[in-house]
Amino acid sequence: MKARRVLSMILTAAIVMGVCAGCGSNSGGETGVQPKQDEQEAESTKEESQGADKVQITFLNGFTGGDGDYMRKITDGFNASQDQYEILESQEKDHLTNYKANGADMVVIQGSELYTYMADGMIREVSSIYEAAGLSLDNYVDAAQDIVSLDGGIYAFPLDIHPLTMFYNKELVAEAPATYEELAALNTKLQSENKDVYAMAVPGAGLSEWYYMMLAAQNGVEFEKDGACNFATDAFADTLMKWHDVIFVDKISPANMGLDGEFTSFAKTADDVTVQSAVALTGPWFYTAALDVYGDNLGIAPVPLIGKEQTTYAGSHNIAVSSSVTEEAKLAGIAEFFRYMYTPENLLNWADAGQTPVHKETLEQIKANPEKYPLPAVNAEQVVNAKIAPQVYNVGGQLAYLNETIFGRIVSEENLTREDLMKELEKATEIARQVADEE
Amino acid sequence: MKKRTGKAILFFTPFMICFFTFWALPFLYGVYMSFRKVSLTKGDRGFVGLENYRALFEQSSMYAQDFLTGLKNTLLFVAVSVPLLIVIALALALIVEALPARLKSVYRTIFFMSYAISVTAVSSVFLWLFNGNGGYINNLLVQAHLIQKPVPWLEAQPFAWIVLVAATLWWTVGYNMMLFINGLNEIDGALYEAASVDGAGFLKKLWYITLPGLRNVTVYVSLTSIIASFNMYGQANLITKGGPTQSTKTLIMVIQDVILKKNNLGVGNAMALAMGVVVMAFALCQQHLTKEKKELKEVGGNGR
Repeated sequence: MKARRVLSMILTAAIVMGVCAGCGSNSGGETGVQPKQDEQEAESTKEESQGADKVQITFLNGFTGGDGDYMRKITDGFNASQDQYEILESQEKDHLTNYKANGADMVVIQGSELYTYMADGMIREVSSIYEAAGLSLDNYVDAAQDIVSLDGGIYAFPLDIHPLTMFYNKELVAEAPATYEELAALNTKLQSENKDVYAMAVPGAGLSEWYYMMLAAQNGVEFEKDGACNFATDAFADTLMKWHDVIFVDKISPANMGLDGEFTSFAKTADDVTVQSAVALTGPWFYTAALDVYGDNLGIAPVPLIGKEQTTYAGSHNIAVSSSVTEEAKLAGIAEFFRYMYTPENLLNWADAGQTPVHKETLEQIKANPEKYPLPAVNAEQVVNAKIAPQVYNVGGQLAYLNETIFGRIVSEENLTREDLMKELEKATEIARQVADEE
Repeated sequence: MKKRTGKAILFFTPFMICFFTFWALPFLYGVYMSFRKVSLTKGDRGFVGLENYRALFEQSSMYAQDFLTGLKNTLLFVAVSVPLLIVIALALALIVEALPARLKSVYRTIFFMSYAISVTAVSSVFLWLFNGNGGYINNLLVQAHLIQKPVPWLEAQPFAWIVLVAATLWWTVGYNMMLFINGLNEIDGALYEAASVDGAGFLKKLWYITLPGLRNVTVYVSLTSIIASFNMYGQANLITKGGPTQSTKTLIMVIQDVILKKNNLGVGNAMALAMGVVVMAFALCQQHLTKEKKELKEVGGNGR
């Protein structure tokens, strides 16, 4: 009986200690990459002992897809070349939430979001790191220079620009359409052969922002007004109504294509219940999937001219440095990492991932090897003058109503009038103003 | 006595530690944040009184519009899904209980199995089934000549809600069914035998014996179903992404957006607490109605 009592007390104590230990491990660690670091260190005792002597720099990014391995090649290559510094890279699905909550020394941020992180004091001005790394803004294409230049300073190192790109099915398309008229002509031809095959498909969700922003860029629509997006303009209403016409007037795209419909319809084969599109205006991240479907029959081209000026909309990866990094040794290590990364020899790893680096010297090598880098070689032309989202405070929040509601109505409501649209755009503008006021 | 109290404290201490660490403290911290201007990036910028709550109810505020959209969508889902989650679960329980003994456990397992699947897998299956462009259901309906052209299941209403309710039913109805089966097993078989002798048919037995006998289980099932439906997130987030045009964006999704996309922890917490109040109001209403019925029954019983 006594033994049972002692046993129960031991078990209870073990549970209590277990809970406390759990709490302790949860609350420990200054940065969000600490667990990853622990894992890496556990993998190799040798590396652990070596790493202890090095200046460790945490690097947080969201490259959880196929591109993650290529970034890892770069950081691993740097670590192998170093006896002073070590990059502790962590690839996470929602890395920016982790960065906001726990921080890291370096973080990958979309160009359109740099302003927000700068305004919130989460990233630092990096001119001195450029200098220490022997780099300057001139090493990058103009569009990238614009992206990282904010408030008279430089706030990140541009990695790539990933523009809206055109994939086409060579079995259905003899030559990539370069204009809206050519798209319309292609559609007429395809529809005459099979009513379930369209020239293209406009998505209801997913890339909706890329569609209206691409056409807004081609039409020269400016959004920023006193730090917030102003959507309630005739030029933007006309831009949006163009997509409505593409579906309901010119019928170049079917309606109700839903989430990622531009790509899912491109990857399918038409039958009685399935529509197929011959062309997909989509993100370069679908390249591998498209290649799996079409192989040698996959064509890649710049987006066609649908508006007034040939340009496209793009996202961009940039590496920013946390405002909390002030230690000289760490800053020197970061500079050393950029010095290593921004050489064609190392940065071409990123092109192997299908990305288009914006480092001029690397870009030249990509252009010279279109067979090795088919997608980046096409996008090399597009990134030069690609446009990104307005650099205003919390641009994602400012665009949310457009992305989630207005564009959905554009592509699904045949009877939507311009007046209805203007009312919605005024509402979106008011929301954008309220989001901007939170700065 | 003192020794026994000490031992009792020792035994419930682990629970209390967990309760305070994972429930009470986060809850109280949430209440605290709902009165402050807090964001993930700028941190705590001070006490703002009821400002965050005012933002939820001031018509011109974007947060009020978000809250209203989420609340309307969630209430619609609760109103449609909860009755179905109860009625279908009860029907399945009655069917399974009516099967021969050796088949009972087989069908009980089949119907319950879906509950063990993750929401990600359930959503993937339903996305494939109800894809508007070449999905399985559209193929089936067109080939059976039941429809002439494909239905935009995920791109238009009311189809998107139909898919979400169907996915929820398929996923969770097995759990409610198990609770009803346990309830049915608690009912005294002699009551059914006596009713049969008196010539009662299936419907009369259901009305006068089964349903009253399942009252407590039904109260529990409806309460947990209401709470679960208010918390619906995974299916809408993975199948429709809140679309078309935010019509399936639930309150939990709205709260997530306010905290992560609009970067406002203060308003997000105020929204979560307001949602808690709504759920509690539903629970109290239901408890009140059930209590009333119980009292009526007791009065009726005394009178007989």
